[in-house]
Amino acid sequence: MKTRAWLRLALLGLMLWASPSLAAGAQPFAFPPVDGWTLAGQPQVFAPDTLYDYINGGSDLYLKYDFQELTVVEYRKDAMSVSAEVYRHRTPDHAFGIYSQERVPSAEFLAIGAQGYYENAVCNFIQRGYYVKLSGENTGAEDRAILLGFARRISETLPGPSALPEILSAFPAEGKKANAEKFIAKDFLGYGFLHAGFTADYDRSGRRYQLFAIVGDDAADTRAMLQQYLKQIKHEAPMAEGAYQVTDAYHGAMALFWKGRHIWGTIGLSDAELRAAYLKHFEGIATR
Amino acid sequence: MAIGRRDFLKSTATSLGGFAYLSASLTRPPDAPDKFEGTRVLGRTGIRLPIVSMGVMNTDNPQLVRAALEAGYVFLDTAQGYQRGTNEAMLGEILKDRPRDSFVIATKASLPKDQTTGGYGPDATEEAYTKKIDTSLKSLRLDYVDIYHHHGTWTRHATLHEPILSALQKAKKAGKIRWIGVSTHRNEPEVIDAATDSKIYDVVLPAYNFRQQHAAEIQKAIARAAAAGLGVVGMKSMGGNRGGAYASTQIDARACIKWVLQDPNVHTVICGFTTFDQMALDMTILKDLTLSAAERDQLRTASVDAGLYCQGCGGCTGQCAQGLPIPDLMRAHMYLYGYRNLVAAQDLVLSLALPRDVCGDCVACPVACANGWNLKNRVRDVVRLRDVPASFVA
Repeated sequence: MKTRAWLRLALLGLMLWASPSLAAGAQPFAFPPVDGWTLAGQPQVFAPDTLYDYINGGSDLYLKYDFQELTVVEYRKDAMSVSAEVYRHRTPDHAFGIYSQERVPSAEFLAIGAQGYYENAVCNFIQRGYYVKLSGENTGAEDRAILLGFARRISETLPGPSALPEILSAFPAEGKKANAEKFIAKDFLGYGFLHAGFTADYDRSGRRYQLFAIVGDDAADTRAMLQQYLKQIKHEAPMAEGAYQVTDAYHGAMALFWKGRHIWGTIGLSDAELRAAYLKHFEGIATR
Repeated sequence: MAIGRRDFLKSTATSLGGFAYLSASLTRPPDAPDKFEGTRVLGRTGIRLPIVSMGVMNTDNPQLVRAALEAGYVFLDTAQGYQRGTNEAMLGEILKDRPRDSFVIATKASLPKDQTTGGYGPDATEEAYTKKIDTSLKSLRLDYVDIYHHHGTWTRHATLHEPILSALQKAKKAGKIRWIGVSTHRNEPEVIDAATDSKIYDVVLPAYNFRQQHAAEIQKAIARAAAAGLGVVGMKSMGGNRGGAYASTQIDARACIKWVLQDPNVHTVICGFTTFDQMALDMTILKDLTLSAAERDQLRTASVDAGLYCQGCGGCTGQCAQGLPIPDLMRAHMYLYGYRNLVAAQDLVLSLALPRDVCGDCVACPVACANGWNLKNRVRDVVRLRDVPASFVA
């Protein structure tokens, strides 16, 4: 019965493999051998139009982050198994974006790839445009060591080196929550005309807010985004690079600083003095 | 920082006036006449809901959720798995300051399943599932959730997995959940029927959209469920990318949502909007559920473009020199490529008693398809299933 199940899976895999969308893509990730472990069947490969078959409704969010391809395999050793999923996204920022959506700030963070973490039989990491998700079953007390071993082995097989998006280092450190930065790929702040943006969460003396950075394709693109945003919130001011104090009906009082490709800003920060201080910080970043 | 209702309404491009009754309508008895358009009663739960609801899974923007609640959205749908629990946590932060009777919330969880058979293994215990429920309550910062869905089953057997049902029933009895639901993204009719037969489930949450080639079967299963008193919540109304390589048409979300809501047995549809504009536009459905001519055209074009749905127009009948049952073969093609059901596809192909040399000596196919499909290629692709040993697919 088990053999038939695997043959069926293999046949299904063959069908998926033969689909036009996949045939047009790059070679799927080749999983490395891991000492003492065997691959349970052939890797399954999923493209943007078949990801739903694997993760159902969860696929929507991955597609938002320009998902390109997923390769999945299961390693087995006695009663233990490790499921390995390698998601390839269009850019490292997009891989970071989906990783940041699923990252658990309270997890144990690891220096694997650009960043990884281990938590409760799960080890996830990103490296360049790849998001790797490992989960163990029946791995017992050795779970952490086993998953970290797999993570290192797969990391060696992926292109490297890799680092977190450089722009994250521009967010000021004071009050910043560790490992809570995000990359939002679309509909930033809930507006379809704003493209992607990075956010960082802050908690200072009980005040919780976010700082953000929108990065346009170029200065003209960013100018167009800001222009549309100011129109949306009915803020009448001449368009010029520099600081803005605005009120957004959904987000409240915000400070913005536009320079070139970047718009820096605050969300949820009601303290006007602190907003003004951040504007100076943004100006400092922008004019470096 | 709180955004007033007045500010919100002023800022919304589309007027949302007239929807303020929605929150109050939650307490309306289920047997009261539905004097307001835009609400339906969720089966035996008795909860009256706006016909459009918010699927929170695609957003991590708390302001969008807050704005939705201000605008009149009442029902929020999330899952423990969305963003590895952070989606539930975000909602917990938002909901902690709101009166508990001002919103209805559903969440869901599953346990690891065999991806080939869809069945549960020995680790899928009552204790494991109870932990899932407790984790959701903790993340959501709630004493109870209104609906807890057994998430993502696609077989009758898994839907009726006793340890999970037992965990759900005990949680209901303990007041941790008010109603028990099941969500399904494929093989929906089987799951809905199992839920109906179980006498345990109160709500079903199936994927249901115009692109599904088995939408008629889902509709029948939903009708049976609704007749038995189950609440029906539609999801995946846009059909995502299910058309696979054949799909390319983008379609207005409202047309898709309205299509689902034409079925009176669907009580609400969860919409996965990610912008304030989309949120406001989806709300306009409450004022008018009618599919415009343009929307009907869009749906028709998109369903044909999805490329897997034989409209059954009969235009091809009698055109094949071999008398092949083209609509049946197209249905098998849909089973195979639409929802990867090898068994159903092969069973159908084998039942058709096709000649050995399908297409015979025909060089050019004389059959003209109203959808413009290349029937010869599709027939060729699907009849190959005859040569796959049944032991591979059974």
